Amino acid sequence: MDSRERVLRTLEGEAVDRPPCFSGMGNVTVHGLKKAGVRFAEAHGDAKKMAAAAASTYKLFGFECAVAPFDLGLEAEALGCELNFYDDGSERILYPTVKTKILKFGEELNVPEGLAERGRVPMVKEAIGLLKDDIGDEVAVGSYVLGPYTLAGQVMDLNDLLKNSFKKPDEVERILRSLSTAIVTIAAELKEAGADYITVREMGAPADVISPRMFSSMVLGPLKETIKGIDGPVILHICGNTNPIVELMVEAGASAIAVDQKNDVAATREKLGPTAVILGNIDPYNTLVKGTPDEVKAAVKGVIQSGVNGVAPGCDIWPEAPAENMEALVKATEGYEPN
Amino acid sequence: MSEEEILEGLKKSVIDFDEDAVKEYAQRAIDEGVDPQKAIFDGLAAGMEVVGDLFQKGEYFVPEVLMCADALYAGLDILKPHVKVDEKTRVKGQVVIGTVEGDVHDIGKNIVKLMFDIAGFTVHDLGKDVPLDRFVEEQLKTDSDIVALSAMMTTTMTGMKKVIEKIREKNPKVKIMIGGAPVTEETAKAYGADATAKDATNALSEAIKMVSSLREMQK
Repeated sequence: MDSRERVLRTLEGEAVDRPPCFSGMGNVTVHGLKKAGVRFAEAHGDAKKMAAAAASTYKLFGFECAVAPFDLGLEAEALGCELNFYDDGSERILYPTVKTKILKFGEELNVPEGLAERGRVPMVKEAIGLLKDDIGDEVAVGSYVLGPYTLAGQVMDLNDLLKNSFKKPDEVERILRSLSTAIVTIAAELKEAGADYITVREMGAPADVISPRMFSSMVLGPLKETIKGIDGPVILHICGNTNPIVELMVEAGASAIAVDQKNDVAATREKLGPTAVILGNIDPYNTLVKGTPDEVKAAVKGVIQSGVNGVAPGCDIWPEAPAENMEALVKATEGYEPN
Repeated sequence: MSEEEILEGLKKSVIDFDEDAVKEYAQRAIDEGVDPQKAIFDGLAAGMEVVGDLFQKGEYFVPEVLMCADALYAGLDILKPHVKVDEKTRVKGQVVIGTVEGDVHDIGKNIVKLMFDIAGFTVHDLGKDVPLDRFVEEQLKTDSDIVALSAMMTTTMTGMKKVIEKIREKNPKVKIMIGGAPVTEETAKAYGADATAKDATNALSEAIKMVSSLREMQK
């Protein structure tokens, strides 16, 4: 069974020889960037550089997927926000952020025509196409979009969003539904470009930010619409405290859910039963960056024994993860034996 | 209405994020001669402490805390102009605060800022996504006692280390606090920070402790 098949079968809930080691999110490393001769800050705006960087974690370490893009601004930018790419010519690693918001609470959200041609959508599509040509036969190629609540926090002031989530939930939900249509449109473009699976990142809605009740009454509906609108395997990822909302995450309808190190996976497995596909939940910083290779190996064993179907970092791999830890991550998954 | 009732009213109205009620009680405190500093500490801040507990227990979430903070500011705006500057009872100090470059999250930073405001600090708020050198410049310019750095993401947390080194180089006496979701005690230690606080309430007590020790040192 090759990596591509292993990942896609896992997402479909079918039997595999062993859990795959992959992610639905960014996984470039400084080692891969160096080898590809690409600076992180320029990898966001050039299809060839993005594809070369995205393929490098598979090529160097055998990580079983390739994912592009690397930032969380694609949809916000297509909707009209300006991004900061922090490109000062150096090799520092700073993720792009949204510089200008486009929506004031109380105003109508205008989703512009032709989203497929706006911002970097065509460029990211080209990068996915290049990735498919390069390694698409060997590993699954993934891409991601934001969930509606997280995207709302990108296009409008986060404080306003949070307060109005409490004061005027109906109006917030209306915004989320419009954003959902924009997300579905962009996801379709990424699929068309060749992405084998899409991750929906709803990182703005864990139970340490909003209440499970609010998640259920306001976020879940639009999130369901988003996931339903995307063809093929979809991973729903939420980082932070997801323990009280894992059932709701499953209800959202994705093929798989992905959680981070704050999730008690053994308990989650028990709650969700044997058929739910759970991905996770290696600590991307304390284990992958700060840990030793032995600690990484132990963590891999731990998450598999807790019941994950795929070994995945809890969030984007922090590019400065040491090479030996990346190797240990993949090797430990490949060589996992139950005892 | 007794002083006790007024203080209790302020406290409860902050917890209930009832801005109008906070304003009413604050005005009543002024009208009935309650010491405004007392109204701030034993009314507003006491309420915010309870809010912190409710947040930790998972009864309140970020939207609720933000609304409580708004209610608190509504009261602070009325009470603060009436506070007499008394050298003996008031902790005085200056703080430079901001979220480091690459990070656009400012909710936690704003809550910590609120606690500094209550305690009577002069706060120099640099906002969010602040280039690292700006912290060093602002500290030198204002001669602040404390620099408080916030990072919500692991990826931007590492930038704090550089700021701390630069500030220490120019002014070893400055107290440095770091905070944010990924920051742990170990991180604070490894980065050479003086303190970290997991929540806004602890940040305040850490801050007061740090300023007092600094004043001791200067005697």
